[in-house]
Amino acid sequence: MRILFGTAMLETLMNFMNGAHGTEFLRAVQVAFLAFLTVAALAVWAAPSVKPGKVNYGLLRVVVSGALLAVLLYQATWQLAGQAKPDFVRFMRRHNKRPNAAEMQVARGPILDRRGLVLAAPVPGDSWGRRYPLGEAGVHPLGYYHAKYGITAVERVGDAVLSGMGSDSLDELIGKALFAPRSGEGGAVKLTLDARLQQKAYDLLGDNKGAVVVMRPRSGALLALVSAPGFDPLNPGEAITDEANAPAFNRATLGRYPPGSTFKILIAGAALEKGLSPVFACSGPGYIAGSGTPPIRDSEYYAYERQGASWPGWGRLNMHDAMVHSSNVYFAQLGVACGAEAFNRMVERAKINDSLTYLKIGSGELRTAKGNVPEVSKRRTIAQLAIGQGEVLVTPLHVACYTAAVAAGGPMMCPRLGLGEKPEKLADLFSPKAAEQLCSMLRDVVRYGTGRAANVPGLDVCGKTGTAQAPGGEDHAWFTCFAPRRHPNLVVTVLVEHGGFGAKAALPVARAVLEEADRLGYVRQTEEEK
Amino acid sequence: MSGKRQTPLAPVASATGLFLIAVLAVACACFSVLAVKLGNAPVLPWEQLIPLGVYLVGVPIALVWLKLIGWKGDPGLVGAVFLLSGIGLVVQFRMGSFSKGLSSPLALVPFPLGLAAFVVGATAVGKGRGAWLTHFGWLAYLGALGVLGAMLALGRSFRGGLYLAGNLNPSEVVKPLLVFFLAAYLSRRQKAFSETQNGIPVPPFWELMGLVLLWGAPMLLTIALKDLGLMMLLNAILIVMLFAVARSTGYLAIGLAAATAVGFGVQLLSAHAQARFDVWLNPFADPTGKGWQILQALSAMYSGGMWGAGLGSGVPQTVPIVSSDFIYAAVAEEIGFFGCALMLAVYAVFFSRGFKVAGAARTPFERLLAVGLTASLAVQTILNVAGVTKALPMTGITLPLISHGGSSLITTLFVAGLLAGLSDRK
Repeated sequence: MRILFGTAMLETLMNFMNGAHGTEFLRAVQVAFLAFLTVAALAVWAAPSVKPGKVNYGLLRVVVSGALLAVLLYQATWQLAGQAKPDFVRFMRRHNKRPNAAEMQVARGPILDRRGLVLAAPVPGDSWGRRYPLGEAGVHPLGYYHAKYGITAVERVGDAVLSGMGSDSLDELIGKALFAPRSGEGGAVKLTLDARLQQKAYDLLGDNKGAVVVMRPRSGALLALVSAPGFDPLNPGEAITDEANAPAFNRATLGRYPPGSTFKILIAGAALEKGLSPVFACSGPGYIAGSGTPPIRDSEYYAYERQGASWPGWGRLNMHDAMVHSSNVYFAQLGVACGAEAFNRMVERAKINDSLTYLKIGSGELRTAKGNVPEVSKRRTIAQLAIGQGEVLVTPLHVACYTAAVAAGGPMMCPRLGLGEKPEKLADLFSPKAAEQLCSMLRDVVRYGTGRAANVPGLDVCGKTGTAQAPGGEDHAWFTCFAPRRHPNLVVTVLVEHGGFGAKAALPVARAVLEEADRLGYVRQTEEEK
Repeated sequence: MSGKRQTPLAPVASATGLFLIAVLAVACACFSVLAVKLGNAPVLPWEQLIPLGVYLVGVPIALVWLKLIGWKGDPGLVGAVFLLSGIGLVVQFRMGSFSKGLSSPLALVPFPLGLAAFVVGATAVGKGRGAWLTHFGWLAYLGALGVLGAMLALGRSFRGGLYLAGNLNPSEVVKPLLVFFLAAYLSRRQKAFSETQNGIPVPPFWELMGLVLLWGAPMLLTIALKDLGLMMLLNAILIVMLFAVARSTGYLAIGLAAATAVGFGVQLLSAHAQARFDVWLNPFADPTGKGWQILQALSAMYSGGMWGAGLGSGVPQTVPIVSSDFIYAAVAEEIGFFGCALMLAVYAVFFSRGFKVAGAARTPFERLLAVGLTASLAVQTILNVAGVTKALPMTGITLPLISHGGSSLITTLFVAGLLAGLSDRK
């Protein structure tokens, strides 16, 4: 053997195999092999058989062949159409060690904002390389794509599209299965975000922990979805393990906070729906819903108390004035007057206890956390819940959604991050009449009431402050608003964790975001429905 | 296919023709593997080629022997066996099973021994000569119990199941032994087990109890051995043979229901089975741990696509224990979905012909023997391929004629030889 194949000869063969024609040669051999295998299989099938006897086991033959066929078809769903399974694609991208694996050679597609600005882009020649121009400002909606720490958020949900394995048409799929190695260009994922607004909103939160949601009321399109603190998407390791500050946690969609007075929008809506617009006496010492429940007081009570004075109360208030002054005493009574049924119905329509899906690509979804409002059966338990305290928890995106429903004249739209998706209505939250009444109340909150500082000249801002008692520290500060009054085009919701008064901590951020959005042309121009 | 299409070719000549076509395919496959190996190092691994050389020389010798004894059986069945075992040899060559060459002769002998077993099997039961075997039913039963008992006593724990030293798995022998026993036992009680009421089989109580007690012993042993794959396989064989003896679909229906119930029961009782079941349901729950093997196997298949990476050109080593239980993943990666479809088609023809042989058998014993042997290979193939493709939970059963494993190859070739012998009725 060694004489027949001398070392020199073997080396020549080796060079040939490693040369330009080696691969072609192997491919030709493979074609020949499959061809002979086909012939052999056909010949075995067609070969003469034994003469059939008295007994016929046709059923067994059919069962066995059918089982093999079924298994083969199931195999095809992995071998030929595996790219349609996002979990599987994700696994292969991380753990398929084949040097020429198709899914590794794809230049991962970019993530773009609504104007086509790059939010995430591939680094040429590095299959895990990624560039994020927004850095930590954009990391929460976008997620990261990291060889060690995995794939999150939009990077994860859009993975199939970004890696060029997105949903193709059927003939494209068949073509890929038959002929093409499944590589090529990754597709782009386009988002409704505006990179400039996202950056600005993140900067405005500064060192605070909190969230900003900027949304189009009639389409649900999200222009900014900010959570602070952010972190570097290229080095997520530290952020993931930082349990004290939880920077990796998306506060805008997963953080659950008591909504404070912003919840009064829903209570007022529920009352208006029932045709209630009562006048209540709002005394200084507060309102006691039932024996054994603590009194519900206005915040002024405590402010007076601190100065050694005693708060006389607002006296008799109607709903409009109560909203303007954000009177807890009034809304606790209003909640009780609404009754359990109307309250539960409103909570259910506002989808507080549901998780909202704000991005859907293929079978992947990004969803918010579920809020929490217990179903009430007794009137008096409503008192505490009606002012957004007690067991009520919502995410900032939930608050933005019900604010947007007021702005849009009633319908609550599904928040969405994907550009070009059709707007989807989640519920008719308010009647047009109730929405109009709420609008004028919220306008006057900004004109005369707790939200005065947000009254940007010319924008006719409507809004509601919120200050929610938080365990272990200062209150959470909320401000949720929209503008302009006559045809609202933009909703801004701001939460500052432990920020103190809503009007003091959250409102200035919202105001600055509104001004920036106005400068960019989002407030006064009519919302484009795309 | 049918009896009407009798070709003038003698069966051995037909089988030789099929073998020659198979050799073309096997040679291409071997060539491809060799070329890739040569591309990596300028060495001709001639020692590793010994099993393939044995194949090239030994099969014709076996065919000559068949001619000498005047064998007139089913050539398609024999052709399928040689085609599949040829592919199996190339795949094992490619996976490096023979890489130690002559220094590890244990890896080289299974195919020659298997070929000898094939010839012995074909000779022993050909032309109705197998009738004498019916007297050895009880011996086979005791043999099976002995093997299982010995494994329980001597075996060492390995990969969740039990294997004897040298990874020789004697449980392979248990399958044909119990098929022998069942064929002998049931063929004498054909009438009793054929009784049905409204399609529901109702064998006399004492007959049923007898079978339950007899069958219980090996079942308990397999449970003690934690070899759930073997248990499933044996029960499937029992159901098919009961169906074959009674020819009542009631047994298949009852068997399917019982198998599902027992499967769930065992799954609840055994942590080992539970783990496999969970991985099957959702491998992505623990992708880098328990789901790793099956997901790597599926990734290998996906990389193969329709036409395959080419034999020798894939990277199936990423799948743990690929050369035995998961060999199908490596095959799928390198010969592609198209090649897999052909391979499974050849298996289907093989089993289909096995059941035909059973139907044409002269005596009830031979009929049941052929049904049981065919069923044992068919169920094994289905369970293995379904496990690797995640269609069913993994059962730790090898793929006949392809998987690495000496005892499996020898037993399978012996069984195939018996079927070839049974197909020769004159």
